[in-house]
Amino acid sequence: MSDVTKSQGEDEVITLAVAAGVSERRQARKESWRQIRRRPSFIIGVVIVTIWVLCALFPDAIAPFDPLNYRAELNQPPSGDHFFGTDKGGRDVFSRVIAGARDVLKIAPLAALLGVFGGVILGMLMGYLRGRFDTIASRIVEAFISLPVVLLGLLAITTLGNSNWVVIGVVATLFTPIVARTVRSAVLAERDLDYVTSARLRGESGAFIMFREILPNVMGPIIVELTIRVGYAVFTVATLSFLGAGPPPPSPDWGAQVSDNYNSIVAGFWWSTFFPAAAIASLVVAVNLIADAVQSVLGDS
Amino acid sequence: MTADQTRTGAALEVEDLKVVYTVRGIDREVLRGVSFSVAPGEAYGLVGESGCGKSTCAFAAVRYLPRNGRIVGGHVRVGGRDVTSMSQKDLQDFRAREASMVYQDPAQALNPTLRIGAQVTESFLLLGQKKAQARASALEALRKVRIADPERVMDRYPFQLSGGMQQRVVIAMALACNPKLLVLDEPTTGLDATVEAEVLDLVRVLRQESDAAVVMIAHNLGIIRSLCDRVGVMYAGRIVEEGPSGEVFDSPRHPYTVGLLRSLPRHGAHKTESALATIPGILPQIGTPLPTCVYVDRCPLADDVCQTQVPPKVPIADRGGFALCHHSDRIPEVEAQLDAVQISVLSPSDDSPDVLELSAVSKTFHQRGHDIPALVGVDLTLAAGDTLGIVGESGSGKSTLAKTILGIEAVDDGGVVALDGSELAPATNDRSADSKRAMQMVFQNPDSALNRSWSVRRILVRSMQKLTGIGGEEANTKVEALAAHLRLTPRHLDLKPRQLSGGLKQRVAIARAFAGDPRIVVCDEPTSALDVSVQAAILNLLASLQSENKTSYVFITHDMGVVRYLADRIAVMYLGRIMEIGSTDQIFDDGPNHPYTEALLSAVPSVDGEVRTRIPLAGEVPSPANPPAGCVFHTRCHRLVAGLCDVTEPEPIELAPGHLSRCHLDAATLAQPVKPPASVSG
Repeated sequence: MSDVTKSQGEDEVITLAVAAGVSERRQARKESWRQIRRRPSFIIGVVIVTIWVLCALFPDAIAPFDPLNYRAELNQPPSGDHFFGTDKGGRDVFSRVIAGARDVLKIAPLAALLGVFGGVILGMLMGYLRGRFDTIASRIVEAFISLPVVLLGLLAITTLGNSNWVVIGVVATLFTPIVARTVRSAVLAERDLDYVTSARLRGESGAFIMFREILPNVMGPIIVELTIRVGYAVFTVATLSFLGAGPPPPSPDWGAQVSDNYNSIVAGFWWSTFFPAAAIASLVVAVNLIADAVQSVLGDS
Repeated sequence: MTADQTRTGAALEVEDLKVVYTVRGIDREVLRGVSFSVAPGEAYGLVGESGCGKSTCAFAAVRYLPRNGRIVGGHVRVGGRDVTSMSQKDLQDFRAREASMVYQDPAQALNPTLRIGAQVTESFLLLGQKKAQARASALEALRKVRIADPERVMDRYPFQLSGGMQQRVVIAMALACNPKLLVLDEPTTGLDATVEAEVLDLVRVLRQESDAAVVMIAHNLGIIRSLCDRVGVMYAGRIVEEGPSGEVFDSPRHPYTVGLLRSLPRHGAHKTESALATIPGILPQIGTPLPTCVYVDRCPLADDVCQTQVPPKVPIADRGGFALCHHSDRIPEVEAQLDAVQISVLSPSDDSPDVLELSAVSKTFHQRGHDIPALVGVDLTLAAGDTLGIVGESGSGKSTLAKTILGIEAVDDGGVVALDGSELAPATNDRSADSKRAMQMVFQNPDSALNRSWSVRRILVRSMQKLTGIGGEEANTKVEALAAHLRLTPRHLDLKPRQLSGGLKQRVAIARAFAGDPRIVVCDEPTSALDVSVQAAILNLLASLQSENKTSYVFITHDMGVVRYLADRIAVMYLGRIMEIGSTDQIFDDGPNHPYTEALLSAVPSVDGEVRTRIPLAGEVPSPANPPAGCVFHTRCHRLVAGLCDVTEPEPIELAPGHLSRCHLDAATLAQPVKPPASVSG
């Protein structure tokens, strides 16, 4: 060690800086979590989602009747026996709404996850490579986004056949360009930072720079996007099955229930449509409440 | 109270001002009882490192604190009226008529969607003038800030003006109400040296024309010295020393002022002569309780008295002002201690082989069908263990030169970048592992240069592995040794960059550049984001690493003091060309200089109070897309030879051995002093 750098007391500099830095950061993180947990919207969102997850996991323990095979009198209004009434086939609406949680909670998060996965890869490539690839991909993405999602989904499902996997694939594909656009703009801001230049100077590959250097720094917007997409996925999946692209009629799927029963609203039997619709709405709203809270926290950093 | 506070007729009186910022529910003390006063027509400078409270002080003077800021004690009086207790309406009126502020970034102070005319006129409409009258006043105001063609400027949008012009407009608006108090908060920080000098000249002239009290905040002590009558040195929310600015800088009486001044490269200091002094410890965190002397933890004179008693304001009889210190009579001890820090940097021997050679290096960017030459025919060599300083204003191509050397930008066809005599591929990707390893870079901003989601250890180990091919445990061991060498402890290695202070971050960035034992390190303004005391430590570190490893530096900077301290040779760039290149002595001491260098050097305000003849540069930097015919500098040159310079582009001529100047004039002609134009000396 040469004596030049032996400036007195610099060790104290270091110790102080470190101590201050660590405690400050930890305190900040704790504080923001405390704030988010105190938000009523976050709590409500988590409670509703938890209820639906429990329904999806243990439908038999919660539902009083068999959602498919139990038959009572047709079109009974809500009562002590049938909390949500019965539908036009005499099935218990309450039990069916509970059983219906499983399908949507299986399909929607998976579809959102896949869509975000695809969007991250596409957006990363667009943002990092820029140039001609980005120009062409951006035009395609814009064209894709301008098409009505539901119409496109319906078209794909009627062509490819109707199964959970097709629905997941279709919704994921529809989400990919939307997510890609968000990721691209986050990557664009990141790739001009000097740590990327530094990585290039030591000869890192493009893939390494994209997925090991840049990706961790754009996780914030990606997680926000994921929570938002789960909400949209619930909505899209329900819409598709309402339009007949979901599981066939006896299934307790919420969208299918709505589509199966909405004709009887005119006859005054509102409950067989209202409750599955309200279930969809509650789940979408709950997920969005969580997304909102997550965004407010991760948006800061 | 000292005589200052009781002096009658002070335009601004700040009395025991205490301000807190509420951060996450906790009140943090930023100003811990600040008192000063400024007479009409007087300029008062506030200096100090970041976080010392100087800006807060200025904002509090017009009661314009951020939402979480609160005045919890003391008074601010402007022209006898207490600003701290004004009603909201009075306050608005006060800000409109009696106080004005000029901030750092003029682009943010102007509305980008409105023409200059509308914005300047508005300041007069606010004062109740009629429309036509306000417009006339606006024209007059622009003329007053020496804008030559105010009618045309009124029709322009802010983005059509240069930074210097924008700041002039902002100053014109600030002076509209003929304020009693003018606060200038780092008004020239974002501007180039020559533009900065022009703005400062203007402020100097305007001061004589108005009797406003001026409060000037700057981290550049030279600016304060050249512009302010008195100065207050702030530290951790207190003014620790006050006095006439020249005297404070020449014979400081507070240990902090001594340390601050000594950490600047001054008096032509060079790395081979002495190390820069550093102040031990770090600035206390904002809001830390500091019951007695705020500087006690870092002070070499601190003893029991300092730990237990608040230091008194000790008046300094022979020069006026005060020092907030128990031991202001023991300052020579601090000086002696700082002198004891010696250095062992060797000057590179003259016969060192060249490691880097650039010949006919050009770089042309293509933008919307236009060719923009950013570098034109650059030739230079760099010897082993040497530092080549590159100076020039923004747009001169110095960063492009760095990027082209490193292959981040590919050199144009015909240009050669050679390492140890063998030509390198234009792009980094096509270069061999060895040549990548040989050249690394230290960036300006460590926040951007370090991946914020990686730990320090990962950053360093990855570089070590990638550059040297050493893997696993061995790489880790070597990184720990490297880190220790740069005075980073093993504990730092497991932290993320954001948990480190600015100086430590830059240390990590330097460690990364040195991970593969580079032959050449390109440093792009590595200390411009740091406070002076931290800058000193980093410059010392760079100097010692260089002398141990025989590393060559390409050192880009706009700070003449820094480049003079660290560089062995200096290249001065203008519009992508090297206008002058020579040894540090040739550029700074021996002369003569290229006219551009001459102007550039004359623009630097000196903290030592040397009087130089300012050579103002006419006009603005021409667009590189459309460079002037002949010599590119002829449009602004004060030694212009009509009929020659505007026609023929000069070839570099040798003024002295190794001292080249791209100018038609020979050494004898350049050595003759120019007639000083009707301007102020700095």
